[in-house]
Parts: sequence; C-alpha cells; structure tokens
Amino acid sequence: MISIRNLHKSFGKVEVLRGVNIEVAQGEVVVIVGPSGSGKSTVLRCINKLEEPTSGTILVDNFDIMDKSTDINMVRTEATMVFQHFNLFPHMTVLENVTLGPMKVRGMGRQDAQKIGRSLLAKVGLADKDSNYPDQLSGGQKQRVAIARALALQPKAILFDEPTSALDPELVGEVLEVMKQLAVEGMTMVVVTHEMGFAQEVADRVLFIDEGVVQVDKPPREFFTNPEHPRLKDFLGRVVC
Amino acid sequence: MAFNFEPAVIVESIPQLLKGAELTIYLTVGGLFFGFILGALFGLMKLSPSWPVRKIAGFYIETIRGTPMLVQAMFLYFGLPMAFGFRLPAMVAGVIIIAVNSGAYIAEIVRGAVQSINTGQMEAGRSIGLNALQTMRYIIWPQAFRRMLPPLGNQFIISLKDTSLLMIIGVGELLRTGDEIVAVNFRAFEVYLACGLIYLTMTMSIAKVLKIVEKRMKIEGR
Repeated sequence: MISIRNLHKSFGKVEVLRGVNIEVAQGEVVVIVGPSGSGKSTVLRCINKLEEPTSGTILVDNFDIMDKSTDINMVRTEATMVFQHFNLFPHMTVLENVTLGPMKVRGMGRQDAQKIGRSLLAKVGLADKDSNYPDQLSGGQKQRVAIARALALQPKAILFDEPTSALDPELVGEVLEVMKQLAVEGMTMVVVTHEMGFAQEVADRVLFIDEGVVQVDKPPREFFTNPEHPRLKDFLGRVVC
Repeated sequence: MAFNFEPAVIVESIPQLLKGAELTIYLTVGGLFFGFILGALFGLMKLSPSWPVRKIAGFYIETIRGTPMLVQAMFLYFGLPMAFGFRLPAMVAGVIIIAVNSGAYIAEIVRGAVQSINTGQMEAGRSIGLNALQTMRYIIWPQAFRRMLPPLGNQFIISLKDTSLLMIIGVGELLRTGDEIVAVNFRAFEVYLACGLIYLTMTMSIAKVLKIVEKRMKIEGR
C-alpha cells in the first residue's frame, strides 16, 4: 500500500532523514515512535508530499509521488492526514468540514456528501455536533472531527501525525478509541505517536526511528519486551513508566 | 469687521453640495471596486512562488505608495495627454486614480491577512486533495477576508477623503462644488464647514456599515 525506499530529506544543511525504508501492507497498522526531532513526522509529511523529499522513492497505492506526471492531489485523497493541531477549518461547520473534500474533490452532490458526513460523525460519536463550529468543541472532539474529515474521502490509508499530543490527558482516550475502532475495521494506518499503550495494543508493527533511519522494525510484543537496540532501550526507559 | 455666522448660507448651499457629494460617492465606490480587484490581484501576486511575479507586484506597490496621489492625478490628467494627445474624461481619470492608489494599499492589506492564516490550514486543505487554488478559495481567503475588514474600512475612509484631491483635475466632486459656491458668495466659513460635515457623515456611514458586516461575518465560537 505504502512503500518508502531510501528516503532522504534535508532542511537546508541539516539532513533529517538519511535513508528511510518502510513497507506498509494493506490493512496494516504501523506505529512509528522515536525521540523528538528524530524525523518521524517528516516521514509522514513526505508520504503526503507536504514536504518535498530530497531523494528516494515513495509509492502510495502504486503511484510514484516523486514522478512529475502523478496527480498528487489524487494521491493525497488515498492517504489522508490527521494533524497534531487538528487544522479544522474554523469558518465552516463541523459537517461542512467533513463534506468539503467529497464535494470539491470527489465531485459528489451536497445531499450525498452530507449523508456520508453525518454517518461518519455518528461513527466518531459526534452526530449531534454537525452544525457546531470547530471553536465550540473540545480538543478531543476536534480531533474526532478531523478523523471524520480524513475518512470522508474514503481513503485507502490514514496518516496520523501525533494525533493526541496536543490534547489534555483526559481527552486522549476518546481519540484513541476511535483509532482503535478503525484499526479493527481493517483501515491501513501509519501512526506517529508517543502513546506506547496504543502501540502495544493496536499496532501490527512498531518502528523506532532515530538519527534519520529506521533502527528497529518489529511486532509490538518483541519491540517492547525484548528491546535489544541500545538506543531503543534507552528511549523506552525514558517514556514507559 | 465683525464676523457674522450665517447658518442660512449652509442650508442654501446644501442642495448643490449634495450634488457634488453624489460624484464623490461615485468616485469612491467605483475607485474602491476596481481598487479591491487590483489589491487582491497584486496582494496575491506578492505571495507568489515566482520571483518575477513578486517583483512586478512589489514595483507597483512601491511606486504608487511612494508618490503623492496629487502628483499621480496631475500626471495622468495633464502630463500623459502631452505625450499621447488624448485626455481621459475627468471622472474616468478620477476613478482610475482612486483605484490604482487604493489598490496599492489594499494589496498590502490582502498580503498581510493571507499570510496571517496558519500554514496548517493550507496543509489541511491540500491533505484532503484540494489543489492550491481551491484551498485558497474555500479555506484561506474566507478566513483572510475577515481579517482584512478592519484595515479595509480604514482604507475606504482614506480613499473617500482622497477624492477631494481630484478637484485639481476639475472633477465636480464635493470640495470643488463648495469651492465654486465660495467663489460666488465668499462665505468660506459656512460652506467649507458644510463640506466637512457632509464628508464626516459619509465616512461615519462607511464605518457603521463595516461594523455591521464584521459582526455578521463573525465565526461562531471565536
């Protein structure tokens, strides 16, 4: 589904990614962890081409995003993004936020888009908030709307960029719960997060990125119970209580 | 010689002054209509990724902002005909001057407002498959426009007052009308006072209308 080969990314003289290789199969949940500044969010943003990769190959649904002839707008609808800071559109109602993509990108009629939008809002537990504006919602509610917005395009995969990092602790659970449900339904997900519990419980594979490369790529059980890599040991020692 | 304030003169001159005020309104509305189009165009050009496009916009803004409007008006109305042997009607020249002038300032207002919108908004728009133009149209512009309103109101008021400078090219707007009345009755105090009051009424109306628009466009929850 998503294939990243030898991805390099530099910001000016700083090389953030130094040859990242990741394969994500259809229906797989891959969680990426690592110290801050290690480049894990950059990997995700490269998949969506919100950052221009310096070199390497990225295939999304077999489309080469580095190829100039690839319609990047179309590829983005197959792997939509959920952001740390939600980035909801504040001037639109919750329902309008969700229906904008289907209407303007997929060319769907208002009625059909609203039908899909309402059912997705119900799915994330916000059926009654459709006519509210984003600024009237809590952080957890906002992030659930953002997930509904990402789902509305019926993508093949969803990319989560630290989806709970900006939330108050008591609101983290409601967002993770929605994500778990998606995983159970077979959605392909790439999740950058600090929530080790989520990684342990939901991930098919957990990746440890440090110094711009994937240092460890293992199923969660091995990843957490038997961390051989010294830097991973050190990292887990600091984040897992 | 004692000065006698004669309120009757004000009352008498009002009908004629209002005719001038009508032209002032046409100049302002016409000028700002085209000025906003120019401002939006050049403001967005200033944010273009292309260097020459940014430079063209920058040149326009710097040139217009850096020269007095009076000079621009006299150059357009008296200067250019010497070179081209063709003079624009005074009203047309007036609207052009107001449009070109306000356009330069509005361009900076537009640029600032668009730049003030969080980059996350652009990213979120692109991430759901909208292209750059759609993201600007549906997501960035509607938010930026709300932020433009207060400085736009300011510019509208400035442009309305600036129309008085157009008396120099013979447009029969409010101030020139007042001038002509004074030339006949010599009651400068009453007539210019009346002119001032009419300008004040018009600028206060603009402020009022913009306040209403701002209120109606307010985003819920903000």
